Amino acid sequence: MKYVQIAALVLLAVAAIILCVIGAGPLAQLQSGFLGLLSPLSQSGNAVKNSIGNLGKDLMTLDQLQAEYNRLLSENKQLRAENNGLRDLQTDNDHLRSILGYRERSAFHLIPAAVLGHDAQAWWSTIKINRGSKDGIAADMPVITDRGLVGKTTAVSREMSEVILITDENCKVAAKVEGTKDQGICAGARAPEGELKLSFLNKLADLQPGQKVYTAGVSGGVFPSGIALGTVKNFHARELDGEAVLEPAADLGSLEEVFVVTGAK
Amino acid sequence: MRTALLFILLLILLPVSVAVQDLLPAIPPFQERVLLLPVVFCFGAMALPLVPALFFALLVGLLQGLAILQIESGQIELGLVGPVVFFLSWAILLQMASEATQGIRWEIHAMGSALITLTLIGGEFLILCAKRGGFPADTTVLMRCLVPAGSALLIAPVVYFFLRSLVPFAPDAGLGLTRKSTLDA
Repeated sequence: MKYVQIAALVLLAVAAIILCVIGAGPLAQLQSGFLGLLSPLSQSGNAVKNSIGNLGKDLMTLDQLQAEYNRLLSENKQLRAENNGLRDLQTDNDHLRSILGYRERSAFHLIPAAVLGHDAQAWWSTIKINRGSKDGIAADMPVITDRGLVGKTTAVSREMSEVILITDENCKVAAKVEGTKDQGICAGARAPEGELKLSFLNKLADLQPGQKVYTAGVSGGVFPSGIALGTVKNFHARELDGEAVLEPAADLGSLEEVFVVTGAK
Repeated sequence: MRTALLFILLLILLPVSVAVQDLLPAIPPFQERVLLLPVVFCFGAMALPLVPALFFALLVGLLQGLAILQIESGQIELGLVGPVVFFLSWAILLQMASEATQGIRWEIHAMGSALITLTLIGGEFLILCAKRGGFPADTTVLMRCLVPAGSALLIAPVVYFFLRSLVPFAPDAGLGLTRKSTLDA
């Protein structure tokens, strides 16, 4: 074996050992750099994805218009196409107004963010958003929608952040059940299926399907009190405690816009 | 020179594959995700000579480790040790397979990609079970391991021929080009 190859192998071994013994602080910085590297790729990829999605929608509309064409006169077709365009604008307008309204009436300082993508890893439920440290985002900030809690920020780079969802086993939230004094810990599953588990409840708790669950807001914790977490689907008593299965309040499967809570107003 | 070009192209493709796999939609009904990183890694580990392949594996391990890194209250749940050792081990195995077949074959690449994906996801699950406790193995967990591996098997030929179009000088047993006659030239 050539000396160059031996030297390269020694260098490789040293690099591998350094990577394996690296501490939490430098690793967090490395992860932030990794997110920074991915940021332009994810943002441009997301823009392309959205363009392709919109192209599909336009084609659908054209197909629908083509079907209409068989039944309507030329003037009617033009008016219908115009109406469709206006309806799309109205929908967008209503959507943006509801987002703006929620931001204004919320008790928190909120930073709106767009979801860039869901992490492809099997055992972790995370998303990436297009806001980072330059927008005032830091690690461990709650992320919500107008319907309820989404998760919290973990790794933050300058222009992009990673958010761990409440359906992840590692994202634990202190929760209280509406209309009762029952409190528990809410978390996802190792192989998340979109449901939440509310554990450590009193095994004699009388929870009914449809009851709402909110964040309890533990002192020194990440999540403020009173954010909707989900709705009870069912409850069963275990040997030592009770456990309820919850339907998340926010639609975590089709997130497009979220808000990062940077503090109270 | 050719090895260096191939290595640089593969290095560029690594973050691209991570970004693209995050943008790909989940596969219903279990909402499984498609992993591209193991497929690109498999190509690189077989196409490159031993030492560059090991460096490439180290970088893939670093990227995968950072992708799954969770730091909670200053504690690292899964560090870089697992992914680095995993990809270095696979790089050595794939080098042996590549030597045995005198270059890359698309069938070996497809099977290798599926096996790497399966062992990666299965290994992560076992480590998480050891760290967090419990062994909640059910149909969902099984599907979460098998579906991405199956997807890798199907996607691998597409990625293989795409990469070959980018790097036509990569060794290919099917074309009668051996590792020695191409990359070492």
